[in-house]
Amino acid sequence: MKFKRIAIANRGEVAVRIIKACEELGIETVLLHSEVDINSRAYRMATKCICIGPAPTASSYLNIEANIKGALAAEAEAIHPGFGFLSENADFAEAVVKAGMIFIGPSADSIRKLGDKVNCKELAKLANLPLVPGYEGEDQSVSKLIGEAERIGFPVIVKAAAGGGGRGMKLLTSVKGARDLIESAQREAQAAFGSAKVFLEKYLDHAKHIEFQVFGDSTGQVVHMFDRECSVQRRHQKIIEEATSISLTEDLRRRMGEAAIAIAKMGNYKGAGTVEFLLQDGEFYLLEVNTRLQVEHPVTEMVLGVDLVKAQILTAQGEFVFDVKQVRIPKGHAIECRVYAENPFLGGVPSTGVLGKVHWPEGPGRRFEFGFDEGDTITSYYDPMIAKVIVWDENRPRAIQKMIRVLKDSIVFGVHTNIPYLIEILSHKEFIMGAMTTRFIETFFADPIKPLELNAEEKSLIQHAWRIAKQGGSSKAETSATSSWNANPFSSFWRGV
Amino acid sequence: MQISFKGQDGIVKAEAQILNGNLWIHFNGQTRMIEPEISGRRKGKSAASSGTEIMAPMPGKVTKILIAKGQSVRKGDALVVMEAMKMEYTLKSDIDSEILEIKCEWGQQVNLGQLLVQMKPLALKPTAEEK
Repeated sequence: MKFKRIAIANRGEVAVRIIKACEELGIETVLLHSEVDINSRAYRMATKCICIGPAPTASSYLNIEANIKGALAAEAEAIHPGFGFLSENADFAEAVVKAGMIFIGPSADSIRKLGDKVNCKELAKLANLPLVPGYEGEDQSVSKLIGEAERIGFPVIVKAAAGGGGRGMKLLTSVKGARDLIESAQREAQAAFGSAKVFLEKYLDHAKHIEFQVFGDSTGQVVHMFDRECSVQRRHQKIIEEATSISLTEDLRRRMGEAAIAIAKMGNYKGAGTVEFLLQDGEFYLLEVNTRLQVEHPVTEMVLGVDLVKAQILTAQGEFVFDVKQVRIPKGHAIECRVYAENPFLGGVPSTGVLGKVHWPEGPGRRFEFGFDEGDTITSYYDPMIAKVIVWDENRPRAIQKMIRVLKDSIVFGVHTNIPYLIEILSHKEFIMGAMTTRFIETFFADPIKPLELNAEEKSLIQHAWRIAKQGGSSKAETSATSSWNANPFSSFWRGV
Repeated sequence: MQISFKGQDGIVKAEAQILNGNLWIHFNGQTRMIEPEISGRRKGKSAASSGTEIMAPMPGKVTKILIAKGQSVRKGDALVVMEAMKMEYTLKSDIDSEILEIKCEWGQQVNLGQLLVQMKPLALKPTAEEK
């Protein structure tokens, strides 16, 4: 079977990623979007667009009925949920199938078994896989949760049972303040995932976040496609990811890979998924399974030479995708940086507005996943991630060097971005050594970064730029004062001649 | 637009654009937003709170108000919880103060720099713990 048309229940850069995969496979796309997302690349690129509701996620991107109706109206045969939103919602996967379409991802049953963190832990216990001590009971009263946190021993982390991506996650360090933090986690969980259910876990204070990409093909075979390290996190949200991790020995990689395949097989996994672990003092613990495509999937694609989104679609069509041999040897090193619309000089407060010029410096081993161009609006309704920058090079030091250069040459006007923050992280000794743990950010970047002082020359450059920009670059007299190419609208033609 | 500038060590190339009256400029591997210098205008972070005035540091939704009019609060006490881009942010008091006026409501969508809470500095007696 070959799909004629796929609906995309998502937005931003991942919607663009899915559209590109569909285009290459000769499949039409239907973007199911909210009222405010008409100023986005995905909206312009999709074959067809259907508005499914107003901006708030509960009425649009999280509304199962609206998504199903939109997909049916556009006569889509399958729905790709991307990541976030409804991607790990078993009810949605079920509703898609019930409506006569194919859900591009694992079955609703697999999502319930593995995606629900509580059920996943039960399965892992059956398989004797190592787990972090915690509480995942049905009693969700705040006083019960506080009592359990004391039993586990502080620090303890509160997490959304239905969630991922750092939403609804809080760190409890003592009984004091625990009530507020638990309530806040429950509110965030309700807002982001439609369920206030949380669970507790002991917080490992010098662990690395290591995850394995798994893939279940249409024949029932499950392979792992090596590991990624995502230890650089802020507020439990990943910022920088790499493939493969430099922290794993041959033996650890083999054992963790086997554990990843084991849990995926127990859930009859089909399609792309990720098994997350924490690694501390040479011991690893299963954290959770993400039953979807991961934000950081490009780093795996870069080191293995695969296309996970196409593989998802082909698998949903019932086709065979990978030969195991093909994914046996990772090559070189890949790094991904998430570009967030926020002000790094004010502690990362969100920055919204209309984008001005946007420029991504293309080149060998560079990849840009972005959802917005000049003139598009970044609103406060959705996640602040506006783009991802991915680089590949022969080894890690070169990949870091390349990433710094690429970020320095990237231009985003109109909203502030965390690019200066990313550059500082990539230049930090601990990161360069590869010794970072999940506490790297809170340890070394607790305070907002400081902007570099402008020197006299830079100040006069800014004065000069003000004058020219105000005149719209039309003043020849002004421009010839310093250079014949100044502010010349045609100057780009002369680059590299 | 592209701009080149003759600096001491050669030509510096820059990309510049005026958006909403501010200059956005990229040069030497950095992007900066420069606000116009207007005399009499309050300098610096126009959206930041000033001690007695708590402003919204970003556009978003007020999800919790933790204080009441007339209440006294201590430095570091949480006042208002906001949500933007699916994350929660807690706005805290920089000073010991009394709440004069609450200018926002639960669930209200607020703009960047909008006044949320008006306060009056207060010299509070040390608590028993501090004694």
